[in-house]
Amino acid sequence: MSRRPSGQYNAGNNPHGLRYISLDQIWDDLQQGIYQVYTKQSMEKSRYMELYTHVYNYCTSVDQSGSSRQGPTNSSSSTGRSSIARGQSRNQGTTGAYLVGLELYKKLRQYLRSYLSDILQSGKTLLGEDVLLFYTRQWKEYQFSSRVLNGVCSYLNRHWVRRECDEGRKEIYEIYSLTLVIWRENLFRPLNKQVTSAVLNLIEKERNGETINTQLISGVLQSYVELGLNESGWSFNKIQSLSVYKDAFETKFLEDTERYYIAESQEFLSENPVMEYMKKAETRLLEEERRVQSYLHKSTQELLSRKCEQVLIERHLEQFHAEFQNLLNDDKNEDLGRMFKLVSKIQDGLGELKSLLERHIHTQGDSVIQQCADTAINDPKLYVQTILQVHKKYDALVGKSFECDSGFVAALDKACGRFINKNAVTVAAKSSSKSPELLARYCDTLLKSAKVSEDAELEATLKEIMTVFRYIEDKDVFQTFYSKMLARRLVHHTSASDDAEAQMISRLKQTCGFEYTSKLQKMFQDIGVSKDLNERFRAHISSTDSLDLDFTIQVLSSGAWPFQQSIVFRLPSELEKSYQRFTAFYAQQHTGRKLSWLYQMSKGEIVTNCFKNRYTFQASTFQMAILLQYNTAVTYTVQQLADNIQLKMDTLLQVLIHLLKCKILQCKEGVDVSNLKPEHEIELFMGYKSKKLRVNINKPIKMEQKQEQETTHRHIEEDRKMLIQAAIVRIMKTRKQQKHQQLLSEVFTQLSARFKPRVPVIKKCIDILIEKEYLIRVEGEKDTYQYLA
Amino acid sequence: MSKIDDTRKGDTSNEQLFTLKKWNAVAVWSWDVECDTCAICRVQVMDACLRCQADNKQDGCVVVWGECNHSFHNCCMSLWVEQNNRCPLCQKEWVIQGTGK
Repeated sequence: MSRRPSGQYNAGNNPHGLRYISLDQIWDDLQQGIYQVYTKQSMEKSRYMELYTHVYNYCTSVDQSGSSRQGPTNSSSSTGRSSIARGQSRNQGTTGAYLVGLELYKKLRQYLRSYLSDILQSGKTLLGEDVLLFYTRQWKEYQFSSRVLNGVCSYLNRHWVRRECDEGRKEIYEIYSLTLVIWRENLFRPLNKQVTSAVLNLIEKERNGETINTQLISGVLQSYVELGLNESGWSFNKIQSLSVYKDAFETKFLEDTERYYIAESQEFLSENPVMEYMKKAETRLLEEERRVQSYLHKSTQELLSRKCEQVLIERHLEQFHAEFQNLLNDDKNEDLGRMFKLVSKIQDGLGELKSLLERHIHTQGDSVIQQCADTAINDPKLYVQTILQVHKKYDALVGKSFECDSGFVAALDKACGRFINKNAVTVAAKSSSKSPELLARYCDTLLKSAKVSEDAELEATLKEIMTVFRYIEDKDVFQTFYSKMLARRLVHHTSASDDAEAQMISRLKQTCGFEYTSKLQKMFQDIGVSKDLNERFRAHISSTDSLDLDFTIQVLSSGAWPFQQSIVFRLPSELEKSYQRFTAFYAQQHTGRKLSWLYQMSKGEIVTNCFKNRYTFQASTFQMAILLQYNTAVTYTVQQLADNIQLKMDTLLQVLIHLLKCKILQCKEGVDVSNLKPEHEIELFMGYKSKKLRVNINKPIKMEQKQEQETTHRHIEEDRKMLIQAAIVRIMKTRKQQKHQQLLSEVFTQLSARFKPRVPVIKKCIDILIEKEYLIRVEGEKDTYQYLA
Repeated sequence: MSKIDDTRKGDTSNEQLFTLKKWNAVAVWSWDVECDTCAICRVQVMDACLRCQADNKQDGCVVVWGECNHSFHNCCMSLWVEQNNRCPLCQKEWVIQGTGK
């Protein structure tokens, strides 16, 4: 347009309407049309087009007389110099065609103002629901009409308003926004207090259980939201500011909510138990959430929830804490879950509950074990099952009611760790390693019983064992006892199922790593190797000169098996041949190996030919040796037997006493069996009787149990020292220099998977390493060590 | 100690009062060495050397004896002789007497 000099065109026949049209020419008709719009009269499309054309024509009219310029210059009294400057720039930039609009804009504004003040008159005195009805209806109609008006004025919007806004003029809006601004000034401002308080009243009614017309509220609030248009810039309605909604409604609403629930919760709690209150609070929170969804703006959700949680939960936390203990005592899991859900909404609210839970589980575990301590100390099954009961119960509680919240899981673990490693039983045994010992013994009975061959049950039981195992601090003690018992099971073939054994080991491996189980696995291998070896030996024997008894052997690799070295003993000549033949055979199979025979572990069968029946005794090698003596004489003194068999006296006495008790041997009359002397004579008891023909008389000799236990513990202590030293060297090698305290704590973390090292032992190990010149103390600093490469 | 009288011995023909039928023996084997620690890797010779433990090749890790009667892990020694063909303990020339099997 600007390319064409305006003077060349005649008004009237220009298709673009580039002619001068004064506002007065169109306003009357336009006003009539707008009246039509706002009174919601029906309108033909052509009429709508007519109104649009009016606006278009006015806006594109050519300013020939300069009279239209009057608008901006005249109005500049309020906006100051900027509009003058703009006027000049426009003069320079164009050659006579102008977009004019301010006059029209002012007229529209004037019209709408008076229209709304009329409406206000009819609603000013209304209250309660009436004012809501009035407000929402008027708003709806006004909003609709304004949209139509905006359409009519769209040419004005697109060009004049756009330009004004682009040039940064503040108080010019798109027509639709103008209508909103005018509504805000002329209707919302005088009326909003009434409206808001009516809304709040209605909400309170709903909180009190009445049914209300929620559409009234949502209508009002939508209007509030829309009124908060962003006033700066053209794109106001894309970035909504919620200032109107927040100032006129939300702040008051939140205050109201707080007041309401403070009163309600106090009253309710004074008349009802906490459990009931929790139910109430839970439903209240849900209600408020739904409230936002159904008729409030979604931005209120967070503030409202926080406010409600504060008032309904945080203010009563102390009562909750007190109740928590009661609920635990009564196993009210559902209520505990409810409390957890409520309190978890409060930041850092759960801490106290966690420590309460931890304390509770610990006391429970402690007291349950206390009750059965006397029996449990010798009954691994009872002990482990008791622990498991406690764990199972609270594991379920944590899983279900506390949704496996990591803090609560940790509390459970901590409590279990504490009561499993220290309780009435370990105190009575005066050793914290009683727990791992009993657990290992439980495994032993389990793996010996036929029950374990059922798959499903085995799976569950092993899982249970591992549950307890994870809490055990002295895992190395468990390892020692477990390997001893596994060794016995393997050598004596008392395992019920190889599969179960393998599964158990693989679980231990999963938890503690390869190193922990490598010896256990080696034992298994040895048993397999021995099977092959026996077959080869049998083949070898049958191809040459067969033995006169059924001989089998298990050859174990030393180091992997926790057996004590062989006992001095003279092998009976009857066994000599087997011994010789096998030793020779073994030397042929392998080179560089030596065998030592564990007679205390060996056993056999011996057939009797002197009693009423032909019995077969299953007997230990020592028993066999003693009985074989009676092939050559009927009476021996204890000393004679000792000389012949070359067995240490205390071991011999153990074997003898058992044979006497079985009534296979007898002493001369008047001799106290429990006080045998070397000179006492012992003979066969010919009247021996047994219901069964095969009798197991074998009884493992007790290697002075106390001493054995002591050596076990000493071994464990020695191993620990090595592990601690290794850990210290590892740490110092990477750190080069380290303070005492840090070194201690690093040692703790490195070894906690295996056992809990004691500080004095660590100190001793540091001294040993200083002596061995792995470390030195840094001069001038008391507590710093340095690594020597 | 009185001898069993002849008549009774005759009754039972040549069968004795007690006869052995079965023997299940247990024995442990170890390498027939003077010192049970390998002087090269400081691990017991009954266990695999560190290298084999790390590579999980425990089964193949055997012992080697020299003419000087000193013994080591075979793998430790074979690495050693690449640098120095003498026994690390007595400095005599290393001649293999035998390896374990």
